[in-house]
Amino acid sequence: MIEVDEKQIEWSENMTIASLLETLDNSEFCSVVRINGKLFSSPLFAETMISDNSKIQLLPLVAGG
Amino acid sequence: MGQIHLKEIKSISYEKSEVKKGYTDQSLRINLDSNDIIINPIEDKIKDKFIGGKGYDLWLMWNNVNGDTKWNDPENTVCISSGPLGGTPGYPGGGKSIVTAISPLTGAPIDSNVGGYFGPYKKFSGFDVIQIDGKSNKDIVILIDGIENTIKLFNVKNLPEDSYELSDVLTRHFDETKPVNVSVVTAGPGAEHTYFGCLNFSWWDAGRKMVRYKQAGRGGIGTVFANKKVKAVVARYGAVSMKTNSPADLTALKAVTKTHAKEIHTLDPKQNRMAVVGTTHLVPIMNDHDCLPVHNFKFGSHPESKVIGEEVYEHIFDKGFDGCWKGCAVACAHGVKDFSPFTGPYRGKKVFVDGPEYETVAGCGSNLGIFDAQTILEINFYCDAYGLDTISVGTSLGFVMECFENHQITIDHTGGMDLSFGSRFNALEIIHQMARGEGFGSIVGKGIRKMKAIFAKDFGANAAFMQDIGMESKGLEFSEYITKESLAQQGGYGLALKGPQHDEAWLIFLDMVHNFMPTFANKAEALHWFPMFRTWFALCGLCKLPWNDIVPEDNKNNPEPAKVVKHVGWYADFFSAVTGRKTGPEDLISMSEAVYNFQRIFNLKMGYGTREHDTVPYRAVGPVTVEEYKSRQKRYDDQLIEKYNLDISDMTSEEKVASLRQKREEQYEVLKDAVYERRGWTQNGIPTIETVKRLGIDFPEVLEVLKKNGVE
Ligand code: SF4
Repeated sequence: MIEVDEKQIEWSENMTIASLLETLDNSEFCSVVRINGKLFSSPLFAETMISDNSKIQLLPLVAGG
Repeated sequence: MGQIHLKEIKSISYEKSEVKKGYTDQSLRINLDSNDIIINPIEDKIKDKFIGGKGYDLWLMWNNVNGDTKWNDPENTVCISSGPLGGTPGYPGGGKSIVTAISPLTGAPIDSNVGGYFGPYKKFSGFDVIQIDGKSNKDIVILIDGIENTIKLFNVKNLPEDSYELSDVLTRHFDETKPVNVSVVTAGPGAEHTYFGCLNFSWWDAGRKMVRYKQAGRGGIGTVFANKKVKAVVARYGAVSMKTNSPADLTALKAVTKTHAKEIHTLDPKQNRMAVVGTTHLVPIMNDHDCLPVHNFKFGSHPESKVIGEEVYEHIFDKGFDGCWKGCAVACAHGVKDFSPFTGPYRGKKVFVDGPEYETVAGCGSNLGIFDAQTILEINFYCDAYGLDTISVGTSLGFVMECFENHQITIDHTGGMDLSFGSRFNALEIIHQMARGEGFGSIVGKGIRKMKAIFAKDFGANAAFMQDIGMESKGLEFSEYITKESLAQQGGYGLALKGPQHDEAWLIFLDMVHNFMPTFANKAEALHWFPMFRTWFALCGLCKLPWNDIVPEDNKNNPEPAKVVKHVGWYADFFSAVTGRKTGPEDLISMSEAVYNFQRIFNLKMGYGTREHDTVPYRAVGPVTVEEYKSRQKRYDDQLIEKYNLDISDMTSEEKVASLRQKREEQYEVLKDAVYERRGWTQNGIPTIETVKRLGIDFPEVLEVLKKNGVE
């Protein structure tokens, strides 16, 4: 299981950030996620694997300074 | 240091105009030629049209300067305002000051939005806005004392030179027993000797029992302040509560304040964690999206950036409440205690550094090839203490370093210093020179536009190359985002009234990452709505960060998530509750539109404000050099083939650079056309008669400026 924005979601092998987001509603404006406290940005979504028991937060649309 | 000496040269007592519904309806003018202290009423028609904050500042400035006024003329006017909502404790971001003057860098009005307690204290002392004009022939301190109801002018001797010590000394001098009652505005020696001096606005940090400050950074307002020989302006006021603004509907004000603050307390830890890391979370995000300026905006990322982002500063920042306004739930104004500089007058001493924020890390770190958190802290500390804008310092030094590496300038010009990227000790030495007004630092302190002229004329540097790589527009140095792949943000910078600062529009992600605005009409719409809404914060005395840096959890379900519509509604409620003026979200835009267009016409009055001044250097638009092209070769090759249908198989890299340039520059001009049309301006970028009439700013003097520029 992984936790995404405080909801439990089934983890699967070979799960990437990109494949996770595809399964979620209204995630097209998500360009940054925090996994176990570390930031990952959209250019890295396809290549970043999610490990089991990860705690994930989807950050809102980046607003700049 | 010996005893400080303040000699009172003028004092008046006044009957305080009580605040009603967020307004005192009075302005205060200090004329330094005559030392006159003049209190004027603010008419209802000005209040209706200009709202407060930046609107009041611009109106007072407009009436005091003429089209020929230069930054160092006595007529130039420094205005500092709050706004009707400013000074609401507990409302996130509810206590900003807005400062304006004619800029030494641009020759046109500049505005800066800054934290600290000065703006609210000044308002509660009886004045919505203060204007300082004329020039003193001796160093002067101005005191606005809302406890004693007096205004005093002092000639001063033996004060500390730098803002760090000066803010502290004056705070304790004017209220030793209750320093929280004092807020001080100071410049510093760097402001005196450069064109990009900033102002430091202080507040007393009750938890740490020390003076802190935030900077009104952009455009050299500190330079104007220092040129008038003003050492400090001090406001003194007592306890502030939600009632101090005498809101029209206290219950409604309490309700909206509680709702917004509670949301931030709940969601910030789940979102950007600004209460812990400030804006340093942007460093890794920008880096990963290729938007972090590296080596004078040549590149957008660097592997070493991970040592200057949130992961590092989170551990360095001192723990404690860091709101630059009373009770701000975002509390993002972090600092570092017991920092020991390794250069300059504070070498080896322990100091508190206010910062760094993202802009300073990016501008004075990655942009200079300095990937060292400690050096960035030291640059941050000295820039503030000397009164230098860290953005202009970082962007100017980046330009110098590229010129140096490109042999446009040599050690013969820099006083023997190697100013290659990454030269951290020499970068610091330039900053110390700026403060002393000495050596090569005194040339750098004139800003990029003047450096380009000096390097070409005196050092034989290539003017065309410097035009391409010098990151300034309208004379102001760019703030710290790479815009090459976002046409909308190129407009966000190039079409900004004061010059390339991101506080008007920050559209990079909407445009580049999400492709939310594929057409020119979409981009033009965004370049209308966002600058207008962001202007509104400056009219009301608010900070914009709580609007869109922490957003409701259901915001992503909204068809226009970037506008954070729920918060816009709360701001309308906030405005209604304080002023009693029934206000809907759409009214906020029309309030701003009048002031925004007025500022554009003010630029015109000063000899700017037309299409030719809305240009950006090609470095902001695309790759200037083959080196840059090759750093993103696939992206650029694909664009030439797919977007522009070019056969590039036989093209040299130089030819590809030239072809891409031609296309991108054409697009930028088309964007200008679309934005001008959306804003109701002529194709020369001037508001039409219909526009000024619709907005109710068709004053005779406005129409006269338009007529002079062929619009009637
Ligand atoms: S959000 Fe940050 S910068 Fe804005 S008022 Fe609050 S503490 Fe200051």
